[in-house]
Amino acid sequence: MPDSHTSLSPLKLIGLVVLFIALALLPFVWGNRFYISLITEIMIYGLLAMSLDVLLGYTGLLSFMHNAYLGIGAYVVGLFLIHVSPTSLWLACLVGVVFTGLVALPVGWIQVRTGGLAFALLTLAFGMMFYTIVWKWYGLTGGDDGLMGVPSPDIQLFGWSVGNTGNPAHMYLLTLFVVAIALILTRRIISSPFGAVLEAIRENEERAAFVGINVRRYKLFGWMLACVLAGTAGALYILCKGYIGPVTMSAFAGAGVLMMVLLGGLGTLWGPIVGAGIFIYIQDYISTMTEHWEIFLGIVVIFLVLFMPTGFVGLGNFFKRLRKD
Amino acid sequence: MNAFLCTDNLCRHFGGVMATNRLCIEFEKTGLRSIIGPNGAGKTTFINIITGRIPASSGKVHFQGAEITNKPTHELVKLGICRTFQITSIFNNLTVFENVRIAKQANSGGSLRIFSTKKSLKKVACDTWVILERLGLKDLAGLPAKNMSYGDQRILEVAIALAGDPEILFLDEPTAGMSPAETKHISDLIKGLSKEISIVLVEHDMDMVMRISDKITVLHYGSIIAEGAPEEIRTNQLVREAYLGKDT
Repeated sequence: MPDSHTSLSPLKLIGLVVLFIALALLPFVWGNRFYISLITEIMIYGLLAMSLDVLLGYTGLLSFMHNAYLGIGAYVVGLFLIHVSPTSLWLACLVGVVFTGLVALPVGWIQVRTGGLAFALLTLAFGMMFYTIVWKWYGLTGGDDGLMGVPSPDIQLFGWSVGNTGNPAHMYLLTLFVVAIALILTRRIISSPFGAVLEAIRENEERAAFVGINVRRYKLFGWMLACVLAGTAGALYILCKGYIGPVTMSAFAGAGVLMMVLLGGLGTLWGPIVGAGIFIYIQDYISTMTEHWEIFLGIVVIFLVLFMPTGFVGLGNFFKRLRKD
Repeated sequence: MNAFLCTDNLCRHFGGVMATNRLCIEFEKTGLRSIIGPNGAGKTTFINIITGRIPASSGKVHFQGAEITNKPTHELVKLGICRTFQITSIFNNLTVFENVRIAKQANSGGSLRIFSTKKSLKKVACDTWVILERLGLKDLAGLPAKNMSYGDQRILEVAIALAGDPEILFLDEPTAGMSPAETKHISDLIKGLSKEISIVLVEHDMDMVMRISDKITVLHYGSIIAEGAPEEIRTNQLVREAYLGKDT
């Protein structure tokens, strides 16, 4: 069938399975706790960037502060573990993700009444509201000190301790599994008839309405999918770090997530995960040399955007063209 | 209100300008109705109101006995009111096939199946091929729409509109910018369609309008100045004045 998306060839599928197994075995052959934790963080931000790609790359909606929903998920999971039950890990994650969805629903309901720049500005407005609430509600969130005292050693999963003070390999494996499943599910959803509707909206909102699509409703569905995935990333984040501060929910951090998506390549799902890897690695590398890492990261990003406008994913096509010439 | 689709004193003003001034027009269940008039006569505004692109200032639209004034676009499409645009409006980065399929899918359901593949909607795919075949786009099925020639894009837009299973189809200048051969192709197509469904054509190509229309409505400054068969319109003095100005 003449689709623009081709399904995975068997060779690519085998390659992906091998990659997954290699990643799963990594912490057993490479004991560096620091890098295992760094890769875990990359995967978590990769999930967040991928969820933003659902919105930006497939539905054509720009969210400046998608990290707000990671933050909401992380705070709720953390608060649940502190105040309600330090041992019910699954329940905590479920509550966190569901709560993120419940916050995202009315926000999305308002936002989908607009499109384009207005939509993007609304995401900024709501994101800054959430940021301020988290920052100022000292009694609940710890304000700018951040949420502390998440009971890490008590977080058990099949006898594994997955908190930030537990074995980083365990947290790494949990993250790998969750992110892999999220990626597979999201890819599946994007290639479904539902995904086709989102793409039609991205391509031409007015035409989509004039073929009989309830554009607002489907934009809301796309938004909810993106926010629930971001909330899932948030649950992983608090488990991994054992701490979250309002900075994670700032507009500055939101711009970082957007850069990850653009660095990786829009509309591919896996591209933004690679983008998160590039972004966080550069950030980590430069911050070992100077505390003003933002300046240098900015310069690197400027060069990448100028010379790799389609992101990392575009490199593949670039080399293909080179070989032809 | 026994007409298939009719407007009842439909008005739309932009500031002080009456773009559509108390229009009462009835459309039949089949046949080809052309709406003509000099630039700024309110032709596009008129069909924009009926198809839900802009709200009416006052007045009503009735379709098959029910009032449909200012309903959301996607609901009007479900009722069978479809259209094309003066400026080509298609899904640029999707293939020709996908362009038509999404329109078909939107009207056949299945859009909420989040875990099946696009291919699983067999009936949708089948119907899509039928439309592509009929409009002669079958060989272009795998081409991204943005890579088509301008004329083919105009035809694709008709295909997208047809995929909505219209009962009444509004075509806003479908031949604008087309070559004579393409114009011939599309006018034959439109004429053929008008045997099955109601077609409303807004067009500047007078030769084509006179040749294929069953009935013509002439608008001038938002009001009807003449209505009738092509022969009557051709000889109508008011119409001549509207287009050419009064003899002095």
